[in-house]
Amino acid sequence: MTAAALGRTGTELRRAAGQARGAWSTGAWVAAGAAALGLLVPFLGLPGLRMDALASTVYLAVAATGLGLTVGAAGLPSLGAGAFVAIGAFTSALLMARAGWPLEPAALCGALAALAASVISGGVVRLRPAFLAVSTWLLAWLVWLFLLAFPSVSGGSQGLIVPVRSLFGLSATPTVHYEAALVLLVLSLLGIAAVRRGAFGLELSALRQHPALATSLGVPLARQRLGAFAFSAALAGLAGGLSVQLAGVADPAAYDPFLSFKLLVAVLLGGAAATLGPVVGVAALGLIGLVSDPLARLLQLPLQRFDAAVAAFLLVFVLALGGDGIIPWLTPWLSRFRRPRSQATVPYRSAAPGPKAALRVEGLTKAFGGVVALDGLSFEVTPGETVALVGPNGSGKTTALRLISGAMLPDAGRVCFGDRDLTEAPTRERVRLGIARTLQATSTFPELTALETVLVGRSARRCYGGGARTALATPRARAEEPAARAAALHALAMVGLDQQADVPVPELTSAQRRLTGLAAALATEPQILLVDEPAAGVGVEELEPLARVLAAIGRQGVGVLLVEHNLRLVRLAAERMIVLAAGQVVAEGSVAEVGESELVRQAYLGAQRL
Amino acid sequence: MTIALQVLISGLAAGGVYGLFAAGHSLIYRLTGIVNFAFGDLVGLGIFATLLVLAGTSPVTQAGAHEPRFLLALVVGLACCVGASVATYFGLVQPYLARGSTIGWVAGTVAVAFAIRAAIGAVFQRSSYVFPDPLPFHRVGHAGFVGIGGAQVQARAFFVIGLALALALGSAWLLERTPFGRALRAVADDDEGARIVGVPVDLFVGLAFGLVGALAMIAAIAAAPGEAVSANTGTLLGLKGLVAALAVRFGPPLYAFVAGLVLGVLEAAIANVHLGGWQLGPAYREVLPLLFVLLLISIWPSREALEERE
Repeated sequence: MTAAALGRTGTELRRAAGQARGAWSTGAWVAAGAAALGLLVPFLGLPGLRMDALASTVYLAVAATGLGLTVGAAGLPSLGAGAFVAIGAFTSALLMARAGWPLEPAALCGALAALAASVISGGVVRLRPAFLAVSTWLLAWLVWLFLLAFPSVSGGSQGLIVPVRSLFGLSATPTVHYEAALVLLVLSLLGIAAVRRGAFGLELSALRQHPALATSLGVPLARQRLGAFAFSAALAGLAGGLSVQLAGVADPAAYDPFLSFKLLVAVLLGGAAATLGPVVGVAALGLIGLVSDPLARLLQLPLQRFDAAVAAFLLVFVLALGGDGIIPWLTPWLSRFRRPRSQATVPYRSAAPGPKAALRVEGLTKAFGGVVALDGLSFEVTPGETVALVGPNGSGKTTALRLISGAMLPDAGRVCFGDRDLTEAPTRERVRLGIARTLQATSTFPELTALETVLVGRSARRCYGGGARTALATPRARAEEPAARAAALHALAMVGLDQQADVPVPELTSAQRRLTGLAAALATEPQILLVDEPAAGVGVEELEPLARVLAAIGRQGVGVLLVEHNLRLVRLAAERMIVLAAGQVVAEGSVAEVGESELVRQAYLGAQRL
Repeated sequence: MTIALQVLISGLAAGGVYGLFAAGHSLIYRLTGIVNFAFGDLVGLGIFATLLVLAGTSPVTQAGAHEPRFLLALVVGLACCVGASVATYFGLVQPYLARGSTIGWVAGTVAVAFAIRAAIGAVFQRSSYVFPDPLPFHRVGHAGFVGIGGAQVQARAFFVIGLALALALGSAWLLERTPFGRALRAVADDDEGARIVGVPVDLFVGLAFGLVGALAMIAAIAAAPGEAVSANTGTLLGLKGLVAALAVRFGPPLYAFVAGLVLGVLEAAIANVHLGGWQLGPAYREVLPLLFVLLLISIWPSREALEERE
């Protein structure tokens, strides 16, 4: 038993080593060399080098690296990174000074405290990203005002004196702190780089570019965003908890909201889009400090004020230049050292759940203010049939799709799938059960390729795509990646875009973009597919291919609910038709019958009387 | 009873100022969907510009202001506050709003906030300053304090409450009754629609940035001589305005104003009121409302909020 397990582990390790060798590039040599050189710095005997300042700068870089994940990958403008450093620092300092704890567990508790604070202030991740800026801004001031108001906790203007400690068995000198900080920095950089390249990073990026589209494909918005935010916070808390012992004192003045601002400036200056950006930003701020500090003394200005002015000026400067930061400016030059990663391929295997079921809606009602958008809508879509939902603008078609997909909750009525009541279920749950929805035409992820867009649709079918598993590259997470690619390529082939897999979405034609959206919904392996106006803005010659794709989907036993204005496409693709007007069904039947009826003409043109 | 009256009046005076900041935050959010993190500091800039013209950077006594000099100082201060606010909108908010870059305007307004704090700190290097009083409140009652029902209340408090109410109601009238106000409400409802019917949206929103800054600054100046002012004064006022505006979910500006009044009274109550043997004390005054609102916004409902982006 144990021998077999050990054998498996050995095989996996050999495979991982093989993959690592395959991915090893010039850039990796440079990075490994830089890290090794960094570890040797204390022993080079450099004149004028203050080890404690250098070590605390590296700790700052750890916190900034974490913030880079929140700001760059998740697109959440956190203004409270310094607050998490402060929470970590004071938790750790209190445990060491008042309870006599050793440094390592105290710092870990600091990380946990920061994590807890991030979960509280991160409840707003479900809202627009601007609200995370609001909540973290409040947190940054709250922490600082708390430290000022409660000297019994913070030590007041003296600060808390932190006793001498050891770190991993060595006396915690600045050099030991520096080495520990550097190892922590390298580990967090490697972990974050892996996460950003993997499924978790792709989903964060999709959520940043178009949250509604990503959510409709089953990406769990709150979980992924909060995961990234909480991880950054824990890293900041850990850095704070360790660095406070290096400083020897936890002084509230060192943790004012300016620290949060400085970390944000470092991230944006270095470039939030790159994993290494924040480190470069911290280094750049440090180098600028070497020049600006003597200047401030020369001008007899208070040092901290001058730093703040310099940081604010740098930030405005970076924003004015487009907001990319140093690393993205260098990217064209750096990309020479990169080579395309080889991708393993496996044959496609469907992971769809078993028995087919029908979608049934009963009495769906929804009002916006005083406007009734849907008034007791009921219908059914059975597996394999294509039903068209038609009606004039404002008749409630898109509202119906939103209620069925879970983007909104109805005021009354039920959404059932087979014998399950999904009225209150979150979108991801519905996607997992097999209800997927495409959005209207203009919804795309502008920074992704066609294949990446479709891979986002695999979110609900992944079991091992979490951040921790990706960062550690567990065997299952690594095995899942090629399977997801195979499924995504299969979905692209179904809409006829397999040749365009690596084309960036903005370079696709508008019809191709629409098909990419359809493929992304198909990649969720739906049983019921809700398609919102696939023909809007599509040329006449592109209608028939579109109808063929829809027919092929239907042949696989997928029930399709097609919201469409274009009656030509409806006639080509649908068998049954439901006509909506003012939120109510006014006609239902086969396309042949209803399509020709007076009711449809009236619904579209209105009952015109001359 | 005595303490309750004292808490109520001093709380309302502080709350009136918070209320104008809250109304400003709320109006700006409804117009643009952004939160101006530099709001408080832009007003702080105006306060310190006024102080600079009025008294320079040296310490002064509270009774030092001469009227003509004060008017000049107030005009200079208002010009600084309004000018910097409008410049912030056109330089660091509008371009990123147009591009849909949240991080752009967030970072931009925060940069302005810290730049102003740094500038104030560089010119006014002492930790706090007395703001000279243009009105002779120190001659009223006992050195500026009057007794009501046994309570000792700053005479200035009544002036601040009245002024804040007048400013709030005046701006409500402006929003309801004037073409400029109607245009702003149209922008708040649907900025694209307003643009199409010919409202110069950017210009009007820029003016609104300046206007809310001016209103908040007048109230802050009226209250300023009552307490020491520092580089934190503006920042904290902006923060409290934000707290009050969030408490009413960026509702109509008048609601936000009322929330500001409530916040002021609440702060005074937290600091002073004993319930039996139980008292929170001044240390909790700033911390508790912030914590409460932080928890409040984390449970805001969200499903529908997302749909706007589709």
